[in-house]
Amino acid sequence: MQMGFYFDQTRCTGCNACRVACKDWNDVPEGPEAWMQVKYLEQGETPDVFVAYMIQTCFHCESPICAEACPAGAITKRPEDGIVLVDRNACLGKEECGAKCLKACPYDAPQFGPEPGAKMGKCVFCTDRLVQGKMPSCVEACYTRALDFGPLDELQKKYGQAVEAPNFKYSKRTKPSVIMNPKNPK
Amino acid sequence: MENPQHSQDVRIVRATSAFDCGGRCPLLLHVKDNKIIRIEGDDHPDSDRQLRTCLRCRAYRKYVHHPERLMHPQKRAGAKGEGKFERISWDEALSILSDKLKETKDKFGPESILLMTGGGYLASLHSGSMAAPRLLNQFGGYTTHYGNISSEGAVWASLVQYGSVMVGHSREDMLNSKLIILWGWDPARMISGSNTMHHLLKAKENGARVISVEPRYTDTAAAVADKWIPIYPGTDTAMMAAMAYVMITEDLHDQAFLDKYTIGFDKFKEYILGDEDGQAKTPQWAEAVCGVPAETIADLAREYAAAKPAALMDCQGPARSAMGEQYCRFAATLSAMTGNVGKPGGSACGGLMGIPIGHMFRMSAIPPGKNPVEMTGPKIKGTLDIRDRVIKRIHINKLWEAILEGKAGGFPADVKMAWSMCNNYLNQIGNANKGDKALKKLPFFAVNEIFMTAQARYADLLLPVTTAAERSDLTYAWPSGPYYTFVNRAIEPLGECKSDLEICEMLSDYLGVKDYRLGAKEDDILKHMVDQNPVTSKYVTDFDKFKNDGIHRIELKEPYIAFRKQIEDPENNPFDTPSGKIEIYSQRVADINSPKCPPVPKYIPTFEDRNDPLFEKYPLQLLTPHPRNRVHSEMYKVEWLREAEPHVLWIHPKDAEARGVSNGDDIQAFNDRGRVALKAFVTQRIKPGVVCMFEGAWYQPDENGIDRGACANTLTKDDYSGGGAAVMNTSLVQVAKA
Ligand code: SF4
Ligand code: SF4
Ligand code: SF4
Repeated sequence: MQMGFYFDQTRCTGCNACRVACKDWNDVPEGPEAWMQVKYLEQGETPDVFVAYMIQTCFHCESPICAEACPAGAITKRPEDGIVLVDRNACLGKEECGAKCLKACPYDAPQFGPEPGAKMGKCVFCTDRLVQGKMPSCVEACYTRALDFGPLDELQKKYGQAVEAPNFKYSKRTKPSVIMNPKNPK
Repeated sequence: MENPQHSQDVRIVRATSAFDCGGRCPLLLHVKDNKIIRIEGDDHPDSDRQLRTCLRCRAYRKYVHHPERLMHPQKRAGAKGEGKFERISWDEALSILSDKLKETKDKFGPESILLMTGGGYLASLHSGSMAAPRLLNQFGGYTTHYGNISSEGAVWASLVQYGSVMVGHSREDMLNSKLIILWGWDPARMISGSNTMHHLLKAKENGARVISVEPRYTDTAAAVADKWIPIYPGTDTAMMAAMAYVMITEDLHDQAFLDKYTIGFDKFKEYILGDEDGQAKTPQWAEAVCGVPAETIADLAREYAAAKPAALMDCQGPARSAMGEQYCRFAATLSAMTGNVGKPGGSACGGLMGIPIGHMFRMSAIPPGKNPVEMTGPKIKGTLDIRDRVIKRIHINKLWEAILEGKAGGFPADVKMAWSMCNNYLNQIGNANKGDKALKKLPFFAVNEIFMTAQARYADLLLPVTTAAERSDLTYAWPSGPYYTFVNRAIEPLGECKSDLEICEMLSDYLGVKDYRLGAKEDDILKHMVDQNPVTSKYVTDFDKFKNDGIHRIELKEPYIAFRKQIEDPENNPFDTPSGKIEIYSQRVADINSPKCPPVPKYIPTFEDRNDPLFEKYPLQLLTPHPRNRVHSEMYKVEWLREAEPHVLWIHPKDAEARGVSNGDDIQAFNDRGRVALKAFVTQRIKPGVVCMFEGAWYQPDENGIDRGACANTLTKDDYSGGGAAVMNTSLVQVAKA
């Protein structure tokens, strides 16, 4: 089984509740490290403007290139649900290896705090919530219900096969576990 | 890694915030060792019905446990405004305040005490805006302000047109609309009732066509609008007048509806057709004023008249302008012309969007009694003539001038001391630099606060206040439930903090005011408040369950529709106006006899519009909408929220290019009132000629008087419209690269 996210770009208002809820549940400190971020896209000219938001998080890829890149073997993919996790004790710290995981990841998912020797942190799919039968914190937080989660095959059944969307490029190399409802310019 | 949720000493407390926010979202606070360690949202089993909180309350614990919270009483130790303080005891603090109150009353009379209480804490029991008036009424009186910054224009308009402020529909009714016109409304940011955006998205998915009329392409518009019609600020009524012109001349309006339910349409028609002033309000005329192509205006008029039902969603934002009430009256008039008042899928307009269930205006409170200083004034209950309201009170957007000029300036009192709570006035009313002068001149200033806000820095005496997490209370959303919420005390007060009510109770002993203390347990008082409130008691019958759940949801059999009774059975349900009808022409307004208050809604030229000679020097119109990542100026210090959206000035590429400004550049925006420094956000999402910065960032003048915090109100004017609206969206500015 592979866990994945669903993102309905047509519903996202860029509010950042997901970002803050993720920081809250996972106790991510103030500063640039954010396991869930919201990217902004603007195109066109007044009054025919196109604005779309896109989530930026770890998509728990089928072939996690981050894991291959890590010289310490700190990143592993759980066989039972495909969730990609980092062992922060094994992580060498951003200067030591030059943040190889971040460089390899097509989605800038691996995050580091500003302090020297910062260990990599990224979306853990709120595994502690999943075992309690709860939604991931970001999904629970989204007031427009733009986010959903679940086994990828179930998401496909529910929402279809779309994996491309404005401001998102599906990596055939890593195969991110995400289904999109893209918002396209009129 | 230890998971605190699994440890036994974690309690889950059901609460909400009590911010001055349009939403009121249930929170599950995880509390351990008197600390909130995590937050979850509403756990209603039907996830579609969950009242999901926005990013603000998701960061609630970082606000409650912020390292910069004020923890002890303090008195000033430097110059006024310098922000230097020394710690004192509660005894010393209360002695200072009570001595000042007594001395001022004896020497200058109670009217020279200015009490400033705001909406920063919207709950029933601990709110300073209830507790302090009750105390000072018993003490001998005070002068206070009239009005609130947010909604006076919309309130005035709704009272004129309908005689009621409950002009909203419950939000799910948007699913009944064929056409939704967002006229200045951006619920994605300012929330406007928890789940409002969710319902708007559903309405869109249900097939509604959505059009946004706004100087900005808002996040709401970006999510739902089929079309954006950019318009100049303050000119909404010109476009609306032209829409009325098109409907009248093409016979698209619902004359039967107008005949049956309204009075004064003929007089309105005379104005529209130009019989009154020689100017027909044609789309061509409007185009020159509002910057919307004539054809676009005519198309919208035709579309709005044809789509049944259609919801024109006006709001309070554009009404915060120099003729703001005209916009809400005009919207309501268009709604009557299209027969959309009182109908499912329609909208009454009026800007307030409230329904009477769970509404802030129906909040429980301990009656504060009468203010001895106001006993002799004119009767102002329900008056539409603002001049009567400012005989005994000071308009909220004139506080600084009143302090500086006193009676000589036509204000009701010479202010010798002020006491402020639940508001960061210096930041949140117009003209912060004038506020800086006024607060430096003011002989004594006491402030109840949670943080060292822009205003708190000017205090002579600072009293530390608890957050909503440190007390139990009943809360309400501004506009509507339909639900009631109970705030369960999550943690014991931090430091030496007290609620405003507790401060008043302690102070009553020092003032010798007898019988002020409630002398009952918090929960017992709250139960009493629920039981005594005629609306709440109808719904909340099991107090213990209510407290336990933190919320009582009301199941509406069908969406609540404002004025449904009046429309379905007009014989037995007149409108609460003198004529019993929707008043497109208002005799009460005609009697005010002021050019600022025409009896039918109009477009009126104002100060700092695009025709003001000042426009040459300051050619950009400034908008100051609600921020997303704080509630006005509350939560400003929370880093999680600040990093989610930097404080920037929206400017169109054309205007930016003309000034050599690129995206992300340091810029300054300025006018004769002040100068702010911030970064430019160069975007196609704003009409050329308009700039926008979100209100609430804290005023922080440097030694040259440049506001480095970039508070929007450093640039806004301290004035009000004919209907009493604060003119937060009527300012001309210039922008330059820093
Ligand atoms: S998104 Fe990036 S960090 Fe996450 S599994 Fe894929 S490659 Fe690794
Ligand atoms: S699943 Fe959990 S850890 Fe991952 S982005 Fe969402 S909130 Fe953060
Ligand atoms: S919480 Fe939902 S609407 Fe808000 S930014 Fe995240 S995905 Fe978008």
